[in-house]
Amino acid sequence: MKPFCRTGDHLSRRAFLKGAAVSGGGLVLPNWGGLAHAKTAAEIATKAKKRCILLWMNGGASQIDTFDMKPGRTTGGPFRPIQSKVTGLQVCEYLPKVAAVADKLAVIRSMQTHSPDHPDGIYHMHTCYKMSERTPHPELGAVIAKYNGDLGSDLPTFVRMGSCGNAGSGYLGPAHEPFSLGRDGKLGSFSTPYLADDAEKKRADLFRFVESEFAVDHKAEPFASHRTAKERAWRLLRAKAVFDISKEWPTAKERYGDSDFGRGCLMARKLVEAGVPFVEVGQENYDSHADNFVCHKANMQLLDPAYSGLLTDLSERGLLKDTLVIWMGEVGRTPGINNRAGRDHFIRAWTTVLAGGGIVGGQVYGSTDADGKDVKENPVSEGDLFATIYKALGINHRAKHLTGVRPVWLTPEGSQPVKELLG
Amino acid sequence: MLPVRRLTVATGLLAALLCVASPVHAGDESLRQLIDSELKAGWAKKTITPAPKSADSEFLRRVYLDLVGTIPTHDETVAFLSDKEPKKRELLIDKLLADPRFARHQANVWDLVLFGRHPGNIDATRKRDSFKTWLTKQFADGVGYDKLVRELLQGEQVGSELFQVQFRNQPEEATIAISRIFLGTQLGCAKCHDHPYDKWTQKDFYGMAGFFVRIVIEEATAGNVKTYTVAEKASGEVLFSGAAKDQKPGKKGDPVKPRFLGGSDLDEPPTPKDAKEPTPKAGVKLPKPPFSRKQKLADWVTATENPFFAKAVANRVWAQFMGRGIVHPVDDFQAENKPSHPELLNALAERLSANKFDLKWLIREIVNSEAYQLAGTGSVTDTLPKHFERARVRPLTAEEIVLTLRTATSYESTGKSDDQSMSPNEYFMRAFGEPMNGMGDFQGSLSEHLFWNNAEQIRVFARRKKGNLTDQLLVATDPWEKRVERLYLTVLNRPAKPTEVAKFVEFIKSDAKPDARVEDAVWVLLTSSEFRFNH
Repeated sequence: MKPFCRTGDHLSRRAFLKGAAVSGGGLVLPNWGGLAHAKTAAEIATKAKKRCILLWMNGGASQIDTFDMKPGRTTGGPFRPIQSKVTGLQVCEYLPKVAAVADKLAVIRSMQTHSPDHPDGIYHMHTCYKMSERTPHPELGAVIAKYNGDLGSDLPTFVRMGSCGNAGSGYLGPAHEPFSLGRDGKLGSFSTPYLADDAEKKRADLFRFVESEFAVDHKAEPFASHRTAKERAWRLLRAKAVFDISKEWPTAKERYGDSDFGRGCLMARKLVEAGVPFVEVGQENYDSHADNFVCHKANMQLLDPAYSGLLTDLSERGLLKDTLVIWMGEVGRTPGINNRAGRDHFIRAWTTVLAGGGIVGGQVYGSTDADGKDVKENPVSEGDLFATIYKALGINHRAKHLTGVRPVWLTPEGSQPVKELLG
Repeated sequence: MLPVRRLTVATGLLAALLCVASPVHAGDESLRQLIDSELKAGWAKKTITPAPKSADSEFLRRVYLDLVGTIPTHDETVAFLSDKEPKKRELLIDKLLADPRFARHQANVWDLVLFGRHPGNIDATRKRDSFKTWLTKQFADGVGYDKLVRELLQGEQVGSELFQVQFRNQPEEATIAISRIFLGTQLGCAKCHDHPYDKWTQKDFYGMAGFFVRIVIEEATAGNVKTYTVAEKASGEVLFSGAAKDQKPGKKGDPVKPRFLGGSDLDEPPTPKDAKEPTPKAGVKLPKPPFSRKQKLADWVTATENPFFAKAVANRVWAQFMGRGIVHPVDDFQAENKPSHPELLNALAERLSANKFDLKWLIREIVNSEAYQLAGTGSVTDTLPKHFERARVRPLTAEEIVLTLRTATSYESTGKSDDQSMSPNEYFMRAFGEPMNGMGDFQGSLSEHLFWNNAEQIRVFARRKKGNLTDQLLVATDPWEKRVERLYLTVLNRPAKPTEVAKFVEFIKSDAKPDARVEDAVWVLLTSSEFRFNH
């Protein structure tokens, strides 16, 4: 039994790689010193699993003010539409850069969902199950971490920033739990060792000695799980430099826009490039029960460069074909405008957007009626959306798990991937 | 092999006896003997070689953690290891069962069973000090488990009401939890559709829900303190409208009579025609109904004749100490999930019932068995070995980790012994609250290890402070070899191996100023897997 890697293993691997790590997409990246555990090119090429970035519109973005414009109708609001690169797809005037990359987007205008409020909607749109069932369903990120992630990598398999999901890894367990960064992409609590590097290393070596003594007679799995997780934490601490984007930021902010959300999107790109299978970036303040238009105008000005910049950047690096980018929130917003110039929660007919990762871009799927009050054709449920996402990522959407004694599936019975969206 | 007291012939004889008589009546054999003969028969059948008997040090740490929720001190360890008394294990068990910490620890264990980490009605149930005080008292007073459960279901004593409060306005949740915890039966599936492979139908589910549908949780506020009363209306029925997939808005459904799980309908006097439900008024408590369904359910659940009750608790307590239930998982009794040792389970249940549901008696018998006292070593990698052939491995709970860190490092002697810091704070809960996947298997997590590695909340136990373990080691003047031996006896409750002594002495001496090295040496043992689990 070989309970953990010794320094020597790392050194030899590092020597072999000659200071270069290879990403899932086959690109050679600079090795950030700490990425000592990166797999060889051949190992990665055989796995080449797809990755996913979720741009989470916290509070619920308005479909009518973004991707399902209703110009000239009483529900339409003051924003003007602009023509995107794609015939039949007009977007809001405050998304000009997104309009220019619309050939990558698959806009689903016919979301019809079931949880109208924040905590339950956030749960439902992260797990595709109702919160009230009280079954500990895992978030999308944990599922992708489990199926497309590598627990042997130096970096966490499920990373998130800003306001995101509320379900965690559920029945998949702590090995797939989310690793949270700050809103601005900075590392969170307990990520800074209090010892100097050499003292940390000496202490770690003593720990390894103690474990190897114990492991001689004690073969049960939990002991191994304990030391494996400890080694993972140490590798992460050594690979911390990946999370430092201060050098790239001065140039990158031109593309992504100078905001926390923009920084988060750059971080997401950097992490998927380094092999992290799932990154979620939350954007705040969409819950516009009052002053919807002021609020959305401000948000879109941050969203437009960040979202388009991310897609362009991924595309230029050859990563977009293996990276699915999801744009969604927990609810849409009412077509009707209330007396505080706000829009309330709406789940009858709203919009989500997919791009990359094998999704056929440049299309609109489903439609709503003239005022956006109901779905006219091709309704898509939470389960259908998740089935589509899982299918795009090469994950069986009906994979069966157990929670305690009870069988559960990744998507509810009857969920179907939307064929038209998948290549 | 275990020292076989009764030899295989006797085991065979017993097996023959079992065919004709319930093991309860199999002579005057004590339960602990019966446990061992049953398990040995199982090993013989499968030609399994069990682990050897545990070393004294291994037993000592295990039984302390299981009975009082923390490890022994250095002095207690040394005293036990050097004791020549042949019956010292049995004597130690008696001592720990009489220790006030026994009641507190069992209350922690059962609090987790009854509420989990995410109870319903969280604003009311987040802080459960009054409940834990009540529960601790029940264990300290040796209240029988049947009486304890009766009170949990009734919720009439100060503190006990919180159990029902977690199901406020959710009779379906009460149905699922109460059937699962006290009857070992999974009804969750039957909420929305007939159970796919067990016999339970939606009618069974809503029949049980009928006992909870009239419960009303009343709330009173005095200053900042909210108190709750479990009251009951005199009317109200469960309306059943068919399978969830066939349900339509506006479809009301038909009333369902309360029915005891797997038994008969509740025999209930008809509600008088002119009966009127009193209008609820603020500050006025609901009067007791003339007929209480809640009380009828409590009577039925805890009755000696209840087919589920005694087996469910015997199996749960067995699993608490032996790792795996004889029916496993412990809350899934059903035809498809057969017990591994059916006669043994019957005997545990019947004898527990005959001993007035005295859990302390049952625990004493289990931990005195040879099976509980097997070593944790060997080639079996299972966390919970199927045939109980090796000691199980149990991750310490957040509560145990805090107490164990305190004991191991003499934290009290630094003058911080306020009761507040005895329970895990939110950081500990986040790192250690649920080290499981949904199926009860342990998984190490990044957040746990970043916390171990970098948190001040952990470092505070290792850093030198006047009177604590690190300080004791540094002020001592005997050779470092002796001090490392003391370190091992204190943190891991066992003598250090010569290789370990040599390595630690080398580590500590590698720095002219040993303060930092000793702190790190203590830290290493505190975060080792030997420390992290009860094994």
